[in-house]
Amino acid sequence: MIDYLQFVLAPQMVTGLSLGVAVILVALGLTIIFGLLDVINMSHGEFYAVGAYLALALGAAGLNFWLLLVLVPLLMLPIGFLVEKGLIQRVFNSPDRHTTTLLLTFGLGLVIEETLAVIFGPNTQRPPTPIRGAVEVFGVMLPNYRMFLIGFGLSVVAAVALVIYRTRLGAMVRAAAFDRHMAASLGVPVGFVFAGAFAFGIALAGLAGVLLAPVYSVFPTMGRDFILLAFTVVIVGGMGSIAGAVVAGLVLTQIQAISSLFISPVWSDPIVFGILVVMLVVRPQGLFGRLGRG
Amino acid sequence: MVEAATGPVADPARGARPIDRIGLAMRASHLLALLLLAGCLVFALVAWRTGDVFYLRLATEALIFAGLALSVDILLGYTGLLSLGQALYFGLGAYMSAVLLRSGWSFAGVMAAVLLGATVVSFLGGLIVSRVRGVYFALITFGMAQVAAKAVYNTRELGASDGLIGVPIVKIALGFTTVSSDSPIGFFLFVLGFMVLLYLALSYLLDTPFGRILIAIRSNERRVPFLGYQPQRARLCAYVAAGIVAALSGALYPMLRGFVSPELMSFTTSGNAVITVVTGGAGTLVGALYGSVILTALRSVIGSWTSHHLIVIGLIFMAVVIFFPRGLIGVIRARLESWLVRRRTR
Amino acid sequence: MTPPILEVSGLGIAFGGLRAVDDLSFRAERNAVTTIIGPNGAGKSTVFNLISGALSPRAGKVTFDGRDCTGAPPHRMRTLGLGRSFQITSLFPDLTVFENLRLASEVLEPRSRWLLPVSRSPIALARADALLSRFALTGRADELAGALSHGEQRRLEVAMAIAAEPKLLLLDEPTQGMSHGDTEETAELIRSLAADLSVLLIEHDIGLVMTISDHVVVMHQGRKLAEGAPAAVRADPAVQAAYFGHA
Repeated sequence: MIDYLQFVLAPQMVTGLSLGVAVILVALGLTIIFGLLDVINMSHGEFYAVGAYLALALGAAGLNFWLLLVLVPLLMLPIGFLVEKGLIQRVFNSPDRHTTTLLLTFGLGLVIEETLAVIFGPNTQRPPTPIRGAVEVFGVMLPNYRMFLIGFGLSVVAAVALVIYRTRLGAMVRAAAFDRHMAASLGVPVGFVFAGAFAFGIALAGLAGVLLAPVYSVFPTMGRDFILLAFTVVIVGGMGSIAGAVVAGLVLTQIQAISSLFISPVWSDPIVFGILVVMLVVRPQGLFGRLGRG
Repeated sequence: MVEAATGPVADPARGARPIDRIGLAMRASHLLALLLLAGCLVFALVAWRTGDVFYLRLATEALIFAGLALSVDILLGYTGLLSLGQALYFGLGAYMSAVLLRSGWSFAGVMAAVLLGATVVSFLGGLIVSRVRGVYFALITFGMAQVAAKAVYNTRELGASDGLIGVPIVKIALGFTTVSSDSPIGFFLFVLGFMVLLYLALSYLLDTPFGRILIAIRSNERRVPFLGYQPQRARLCAYVAAGIVAALSGALYPMLRGFVSPELMSFTTSGNAVITVVTGGAGTLVGALYGSVILTALRSVIGSWTSHHLIVIGLIFMAVVIFFPRGLIGVIRARLESWLVRRRTR
Repeated sequence: MTPPILEVSGLGIAFGGLRAVDDLSFRAERNAVTTIIGPNGAGKSTVFNLISGALSPRAGKVTFDGRDCTGAPPHRMRTLGLGRSFQITSLFPDLTVFENLRLASEVLEPRSRWLLPVSRSPIALARADALLSRFALTGRADELAGALSHGEQRRLEVAMAIAAEPKLLLLDEPTQGMSHGDTEETAELIRSLAADLSVLLIEHDIGLVMTISDHVVVMHQGRKLAEGAPAAVRADPAVQAAYFGHA
């Protein structure tokens, strides 16, 4: 029994937790973009892939992993800014914004995915693990890199929450999310805040790509496999809610990790989807309210 | 303005039958469909004379996927629901067809079974998805198809990731003649006729009070309950109709290609259908048919230069969303419609 | 004696602590015009939402045509014979005026025509035509509803509410934003409607209320302040203070 806990269950839960933290980073970007712009970014998973490929390519060019952790998200910022200004804003005022932006970003995701396949080839690649070894805690072997991933990722999430809820910048963002016209009349540069928020969301996805690349490998369609889980986290947590994304991200990935142990890994997707369905039926607004609303 | 009389009063100035804009738009679609039909027949004649096989098979495939696009259009173009998982039903039809044909079923038996299977499955799926709309509808249809595709991918009895091969040639008895699925020209004409029937059935359905409620839901769903209808129930019916159309089209696929693969159920297939409808023109029915033919042609032309034709398709799609949100046929049909109006009023 | 077309007793609902409607009781008699008045935020539209099924009451009872209809959904209320218009115009903007009216009249057809072409719905088509001329919209029949002027949209809104021949018609500020001439015509229309059906009205134009109402209910902060014949309500000192105070 103790052996099982020590060698099977606990490591599985740590693996789940590291995945959970990465999913939260991706979901956080999705939920901020939705909360603020009212846009579902279907290309979000592909930006996660772009982050992973940037890390792979720049790492192969000799850049240090610690530098990439900062550099890749910074490189994502102008990309996100341009996508918002050049594409999203073009259809932002169309009569059915939800569908139109969803279609547009879906097309963008397709183009990005294929472009990655053209540049890097269709095969799976894996950058070296930046931190090797493992520590033993109460007899449980914890891989160092995963522990770092969890700690670092959670710090980023905490920092994001602090910025949004405790700073003047965050107040502007929340005001724009609550009522863009009101915020504009109060002097909030709404256009800049929107593009900035989109860029920031993309940067978070890119960061998740950097962090997960050494663990889950890199391939062109990696974003597509990841995005269903991220969307589920966003919906279960409540579209546009930061706290919701964190809670749902942790809970869902643990359910996934444990169920794949006790039932079968094949069932982890249907289980996650089942939770999504139950949530939509029972409480369609999600666990928590939307950004800017309470 | 106020007239004391209640009850039906005929207005002599308007005549008995008013001009119905939705009916007129449908008539414009019919004209374009007729044009496409003529084009297909000319193509068939040329291909038959030159003894071509490759392009006939490709065109047949384009028509089969046009059926999937039609099913997306019922939801997106008429009810205002974006399904990102319609391949679920296309794949369901394809797999049912492949399995049953391999066990020696007849064409009629296969189609009846697919009709029944699709009705049951889409009704069950519809009970879930009709509760939500907007982005939630898109995401939940996406999720449902992903889960189903994964399940097929992991089921050894269905060939897992390899799919099922060796689907036998099927003879289709039509009464006056028998079509064999391995005859390029015969099966092309059969599929063409099948799609014409699907198109006519759907345009009939959309011209009924039921179909008009779907259009009303797209226009202003919140008002619909106050007309005495339940939008949720209408959405469910639309979803079942779309599921049936997709599954019947999918059932033709293994007859054409002799195999099925999990790819048919994947997000790529669902996404392609959405691209087809939006590029062709959502809410026109005929746009789905044109879209499928045009995109298949485009894919084969670009595909002869590069294997990464999806980049070009994706860019074209994005350009359509930004610059021509009504799609190719949407733009053309609007012109045709106003021409029909002018002809009427003259 | 036939029961009143509508009886509301002890109706209540709250939104996050705010009691939008609180212990409200009143009746609407048959073939009469009953009007709810009150300052902005008094809860008038919420009462309409509670009666028509858009909202479910937390307390109280709605009896429509002798039947307990508390919390029944909108489509059920429509089938039982309730029609309503909206304060904020709610049409099908990208459908034609005629199609809007035809859609609203379709429930008059037997369900067996549900899957026949709309051209085989003679009752609904004739009803839509009749409404066009009654509401002076015949010339606009083929325009998209979203392209109509404000006054025309308000007229279409009312026409759609009566299309299915309801027993009780709820009109939420039908004259909102209308010119003086249009308002008078609408008043005349409402009066003529009361010959065949019962009307429950929300209206701000006090002159209009006094001339066309048979019975007036005054609401203030979610509660009933007074009710009675128009002249009696107008003379009520409590109403004077709360509502006509500044006038």
